Amino acid sequence: MSLRSPPPILSVRPSRALVDEPFEVSVENLPPGGPVTVRSLHRSEDGDDWEAYGRYVSDHSGKVSVSEDLSFGGTFSGKQPMALLWSMRPVPGSRSGLRLRKLKVTTPMLVNISVYRGHNDFRDQTPLASAVTERWYMAPGVHRVDIRQEEVQGTLFIPPGPGPFPGVLDIWGGWGGLLEYRSALLASRGFASLTVEYLKPGELQTDLEFSSFEAAFNILKDHPKVLSDRVGVLGSSAGSIVTLYLAAESTAVQPRCVVCISNANCYPHESGLSGIQHLLAKKFDKIRLDENNHEIWRGIGLALLDDAPYKVDMGKIRSPVLLVNGRDDQNWPVLETADRMAQVVGAAGKAHLLYRLDYPNTGHQIEPPFSPHFRATNLAIDGTKDKAILLWGGETKAHSEAQEDSWKKILSFLRQHLYCSPKAKI
Amino acid sequence: MVTDALSNISLFDLFPLLFAERATDAVMFRAHASVKAMGQLTDMKIKPGCSVYRKLAGLQRLTGKVPWISSTRPAPLLTAAPVRALVDEQISIRGRFLPPRCPVTVWARMHSDEGDLWESFAHYNSNESGAFSLTGDPSVGGSYLGCEPMGLFWSMQPAPGGREGLRLRKKNVETPYLVHISLLGGHVSPSGGQISELAAVTAERWYMAPGVKRIAIHQNGIVGTMFVPPGPGPFPAMLDLWGMGGGLQEYRSSLLASKGYVSLSLAYFGHKDLPGPPDRINVGDLYFKAAFRLLQDHPQVVSDRIGIIGLSFGCYLTLRIATRTGVKPSCLVCINGPMGSTVPLTDSDGRTDQFDSFQQYWTFDDEGRVIFKDVSLPANLPPDSFVKLEKLDCPLMYIVGEDDLSASSTENADLIEENLRTAGKSHLFTRLSYPGAGHLIEPPYSPNARSSMWSVKPKKLITMWGGHPAPHAAAQEDAWKKILDYLEKHLRS
Repeated sequence: MSLRSPPPILSVRPSRALVDEPFEVSVENLPPGGPVTVRSLHRSEDGDDWEAYGRYVSDHSGKVSVSEDLSFGGTFSGKQPMALLWSMRPVPGSRSGLRLRKLKVTTPMLVNISVYRGHNDFRDQTPLASAVTERWYMAPGVHRVDIRQEEVQGTLFIPPGPGPFPGVLDIWGGWGGLLEYRSALLASRGFASLTVEYLKPGELQTDLEFSSFEAAFNILKDHPKVLSDRVGVLGSSAGSIVTLYLAAESTAVQPRCVVCISNANCYPHESGLSGIQHLLAKKFDKIRLDENNHEIWRGIGLALLDDAPYKVDMGKIRSPVLLVNGRDDQNWPVLETADRMAQVVGAAGKAHLLYRLDYPNTGHQIEPPFSPHFRATNLAIDGTKDKAILLWGGETKAHSEAQEDSWKKILSFLRQHLYCSPKAKI
Repeated sequence: MVTDALSNISLFDLFPLLFAERATDAVMFRAHASVKAMGQLTDMKIKPGCSVYRKLAGLQRLTGKVPWISSTRPAPLLTAAPVRALVDEQISIRGRFLPPRCPVTVWARMHSDEGDLWESFAHYNSNESGAFSLTGDPSVGGSYLGCEPMGLFWSMQPAPGGREGLRLRKKNVETPYLVHISLLGGHVSPSGGQISELAAVTAERWYMAPGVKRIAIHQNGIVGTMFVPPGPGPFPAMLDLWGMGGGLQEYRSSLLASKGYVSLSLAYFGHKDLPGPPDRINVGDLYFKAAFRLLQDHPQVVSDRIGIIGLSFGCYLTLRIATRTGVKPSCLVCINGPMGSTVPLTDSDGRTDQFDSFQQYWTFDDEGRVIFKDVSLPANLPPDSFVKLEKLDCPLMYIVGEDDLSASSTENADLIEENLRTAGKSHLFTRLSYPGAGHLIEPPYSPNARSSMWSVKPKKLITMWGGHPAPHAAAQEDAWKKILDYLEKHLRS
């Protein structure tokens, strides 16, 4: 084949990166001043296709730089270097209520980025150029260790090197099953991290109690490659209940610092953690539906705010606590919960230990950066065989900015309290 | 002695004074001074020469090991970004959470595809915040000196006790090099025994970007490997030729494909799938023409945007293909090679005589290592093999390593330039010339082999390639950028 000039070339730098690292996508050799669409495509582990795209116009030299130029629409607009990842959504024709989560962290996410002529109907065209980029949750040298003990089932990730390392116990919320990606990423950032399986996929039912988490904490703390006095806890959603308990009330363990993402603070006294499902079920009449019939569970939480037979007594916290919340959280009244906690903490004279990050237009699922935002996703409710679509909230652009900012601040918080800073006393 | 001599001799004459290749001290000090470091040293008013070695070694003994590590103090953090990279991408290595103003050693090691251990190390001091970075801070000792962000990679040497005459070349481009980088307390020599590892990070270094396809070529007698970039194409292409080491080297082609060029690494000598006796070149002009046509006819290649790159003997082949076989490349890159054959030709198609039979121009240094340089002196090349440069119709970039001990690169470059000028074609010629660089100007950040094993039978022979570590590394980095820009200009616009 012979052409007057070779076609465009698209490059992604770096071509292989950790998921929280930014990349630069640029296209060269385009016709100058020409309309193009830059599109990312990813096939998830579930076999669904996700895509994002932006509409650009090349400059006089035939270049488009996604980091520098403005997108004129698509799944994102404006100057958005990473939107090809965070604005991804299922391609048209996909099942509804999907969620993008990587379960196998030892392999990378493969994202195909292509450029098409024009601003419309790119799906019918062959791209002008494309590149493949790898996005990893795990850095080379990180060890993955299965933990299968009686009380504690989970996965431990250990950074490369001699250690010892500070540790982070990673506790997820409902319905997830065993999620490893946040722990793998924490280990890639220098923290030994243990993620615990306690709520099977589709369930809010658990056999575990606070003591199981204390056992998990100790597994981490007693590991020969972990610094026993530098272990913190990171919990999200329902997992923050356990996190706050460990921070405030546990007599068996004492985390050096904790982080709660999308906090919750209530559990039934009579049955402890294992009764969370029933506790919620009692207030199911408070579920409202939005215009798409997506379920808003905020009301349950609000009703439980005063009703719940037990809360962690935040006045008893002994170490710094970072709360990360989204102001548009439709799944749980996180701000109201945080306000109550702040009151209690303040009254106990410990306001200096509490840090809050509240992000506008941000929903419930605050994930590591550049993960696609989903406003609502499917949930199979255990025991009922029903499928519901839960509304998490958040507006994509603001939510993605919150993910990027909060991750930086969470890492900085963890480093400050778990790694040695030069000003720390010996 | 040296301060007077300083004004009379070039900086690079001084390099041998700073080499300490035998470990005679408890501190094994191997400093390969960069131009910048030499400047720093002279600013420090230390007179280059033997006294430098003694002064710096003395400093090292003063600092010693740091006794502050205890179980209640967390370990520092060593990071590399990006942690998976192509070999020509810069990696930013940093250490944090150290005590302030504290001496540390960064130690890198990796295994070659053959299983040999390669390593390098450098000495740094943390700043007041307990941090340091290879991109901002100077190495004050070890395998390299001065601020060298990629110094750990290009200064690697075979670990003590390894096989002799090694050269680092990636055989399997589908896997990365795994480099283990450790942070040690104090200014130590890692092979010296007593080390305390504080932190570590593993980096992957790739010769192939994700999505690049590797295709073994065995058709129409052509023996090679083709690499195709991801995407629909079509793409400009490169024919990739190495020297008389023979065999099939894929790593430059896989890198070129990672930059968007379909690239064909072609075997022509010393490969089991090629015809005829293995000690001579049995393929001629038709073979190379067929390889070029293979690229042209590939459905994903822009047929009028194909270049050729050749190193050493590959230079001569590049020029011969462009002037004798009727194909029309868009540009040529020649590195350190002759404009005629270094082995007598046996026919008009370019087949040659037995390679090693013609040894009259071999010279030997005082350690018995063979120097091939004079073989390619224009006066010594068979006149019937000289390429007719007046027939050149495309741009040519010629790259010279001024310390090339294997080929008379400067003399050949001069002659090529002169011939082109005579033919009224100087506008086609570009020369890059690098002082202190040797014969093996390869993709950046790989260690230079100043000499390596050439043959084991009939007798063991080590050959000199030339080049000193720091200037050769600088040459590789600069040349690669300029090669890519050159290809961009002539194959993409």
